[in-house]
Amino acid sequence: MGEKSNSSERWLTAHHDPLASLYTFGSCMALADLHGDGDSKLIIADLGTGAYNMKLKVYKGTNLMSENTLIDLPTGVITFHMDTTEPRVPAVAVASGSYIYIYKNLRPYFKFTLPTLEVNPTEFDAWNQARDELLDVSMLYEILDSLRQEVGECGLTTRSQRFLMCHDHASQLTFLEQHKGFLLKRQTVVTCFSTLKKSHAEDDAISCLVLGTESANIFILDPEAFTILNSMSLPSVPVFLCVNGLYDVEYRIIVACRNGQIYTLKRGVKLGRPTAELTSQPVGLIRRDKSIIVATMDQYLYSFNNKGKRLWSLKLPAPVLCMESLEIRTLGLTLTALGLADRRVLVYRDKHLVDTIHTQDNVTAIKFGRFGREDNTLVMIMKGGSLLVKILKRTARFEVEESQGPSQAVAVKLSIPKKTKLFVDQTMRERENCVLMHRVFQHDLYRLRLSTARAYVSALDTSSNPVSLSQSEPLKLSAQVLGLGPTFKLRVELQNTSSVTPSLELAVVFHCDDRIYTVNQSFIQIPMLVPGIVHVAETLVTCISELGISDTVRVFVIKGKANRPLLTAVINMPVAEVFMAT
Amino acid sequence: MGMFDKLAFALGLKKREASVLVIGLDNSGKSTMLNHFKSEDQRTTDIVPTVGFNVEKFKARNVGFTAFDMSGQGRYRSLWEHYYHDCQGIIFVIDSSDKLRLVVAKDELDILLQHPEVRNRRLPILFFANKMDMREAVSSVKVSSALGLERISDKPWHITASNAVTGDGLHEGVEWLTNQIKENVGNNNK
Repeated sequence: MGEKSNSSERWLTAHHDPLASLYTFGSCMALADLHGDGDSKLIIADLGTGAYNMKLKVYKGTNLMSENTLIDLPTGVITFHMDTTEPRVPAVAVASGSYIYIYKNLRPYFKFTLPTLEVNPTEFDAWNQARDELLDVSMLYEILDSLRQEVGECGLTTRSQRFLMCHDHASQLTFLEQHKGFLLKRQTVVTCFSTLKKSHAEDDAISCLVLGTESANIFILDPEAFTILNSMSLPSVPVFLCVNGLYDVEYRIIVACRNGQIYTLKRGVKLGRPTAELTSQPVGLIRRDKSIIVATMDQYLYSFNNKGKRLWSLKLPAPVLCMESLEIRTLGLTLTALGLADRRVLVYRDKHLVDTIHTQDNVTAIKFGRFGREDNTLVMIMKGGSLLVKILKRTARFEVEESQGPSQAVAVKLSIPKKTKLFVDQTMRERENCVLMHRVFQHDLYRLRLSTARAYVSALDTSSNPVSLSQSEPLKLSAQVLGLGPTFKLRVELQNTSSVTPSLELAVVFHCDDRIYTVNQSFIQIPMLVPGIVHVAETLVTCISELGISDTVRVFVIKGKANRPLLTAVINMPVAEVFMAT
Repeated sequence: MGMFDKLAFALGLKKREASVLVIGLDNSGKSTMLNHFKSEDQRTTDIVPTVGFNVEKFKARNVGFTAFDMSGQGRYRSLWEHYYHDCQGIIFVIDSSDKLRLVVAKDELDILLQHPEVRNRRLPILFFANKMDMREAVSSVKVSSALGLERISDKPWHITASNAVTGDGLHEGVEWLTNQIKENVGNNNK
């Protein structure tokens, strides 16, 4: 509940459209000032139903401004500056299948096609023979099927993959008839892409495109000529890219791959260097100044440094659906937002949870940035297709609470001294003689308890305690010493603690060593004690010893001619001040 | 106030002075609005985003206004509160075509109303639902409900649809503000 009120304190709900019917992911969203008017637009590549109705949608504020139909499913949308013409408006790049479509001013401008791959010769021959009707359909199917066992599904062309999906003879035949006339090509598809500034680091400098492909390659494209500037390979298929640096100077590409590994590519290398191994498949990758943050499918959030050393890890309460970096420049903060499968968006500052946003549905895509004229805007797409826009309040702060759980305590290293020889010897001895030691300890403990019990009994026997527990005379005694000496005043308060019975024939007797103290009135008769009333008996005690020592004075309460006192109080007398001065 | 001053005001010989604070989000049209009140020869043709604040003087119905044209950009909004103490009225300009940020305007208004310098004073607040000419602009009634103006019960307020470029609605609003300020000054002197 506390978190809930926190989130409403920090975020303003600017727009909520439950009927937006958007189906997209974080990589297919971008925020950019497409017209150079200071108003950032939201660009979304909508996957439609997943089979048709794919659209590139642009929102201006709360309104849908334009729609462009896409031919194939989009895998990513990015905005980048490809030239230096004025006004400085960015181009939109949409990755879809084997192509990158470039839009300028929201009009199609260029289509880049990924280079084709080499077709397996056996596969090539088989299709050629089938075309020339030297091979019948079932034979072709068998050859391709055995080839699939050999090189794997990915080694085949899409045509062969589709053909192998046709199970009955009739559909195989129609497929062959339809496609045999065309040239067999093996193409790869874009899995992820990003941008890399070419030679200047400014916000509106020209950027290269960095593509990750299904053929486990990374391509860097020239933004003007659309030629491949650099091609690098990886051991597995890249799924997330983080790029920083400048192409002409020095750059670093961090790639999270489908095999659960993170690789680093630098300028001048051709093969990715393994950096870190994850426990599961990655679902998001973010790069900070000197660290990488990765969310994995087994509900963990990891942070690694650039060398691949794990800095921290965090178990998350639910599976992660999406991840986004929140860079809040006004606060100088970079946070991490995670959309979880329990209808929450958690915001982390390093490994500390600083905010929770509760939503009505699971958030599948998050984008943070400048939208409209507001810098800190969080755009979220729900699983059900609704669009939610939240704006960070000007007054919002994300402070880490210092007392936040045991994570702080764990981090503090205990200062444990080195093991000495003595310590080791003692440990050995304890390990060997543990039974004996325990027995000795228990024996001594019993003896201690016994002597305590004896002392208690004797105290009860001699009534040398200041509270009488006897049923006949329940009394309470308290004594005070007043004065600095050598003459002190002893003040004894007696109280009858019974409810109704009065005490009769009581007397107070003071007893001390007569070489040290003289008591003015050592016997005081007490009148009848009415229950509850405090009676005060006072006497003067003079210290006569010249040695400057102090002793105890005993106070007894006696009743009639009884030979045992009812109560005893032992008063430790203070040292007389006069003797201390001399 | 002396007898002669009262007489002078009654006859309209001497001007009253009032300072007003002009606030609102960035790009809502505060400087454009004030530009309209300037005399013909002092007007600027291109308005640029205000940095910090500008002080403008104009006259309306025998009252000399000193307007503090505050910058609406996020990083300058913290300056607003330093001028609450000295002003006799507030003009809050809203871009009614920016539906996305109405909620931000509401948040800023809430902060304004909660401020100790404003909370306990009967400061008149004039709202301009600006940019009424824009196609996507919402009506002043909608702006009023989006900002929750009906909650303001302890201060006089007024909302006017305006177009700062052409000047539509500006004079109506300022006339209301002038009356309110005159009334306030009158009450204080009694």
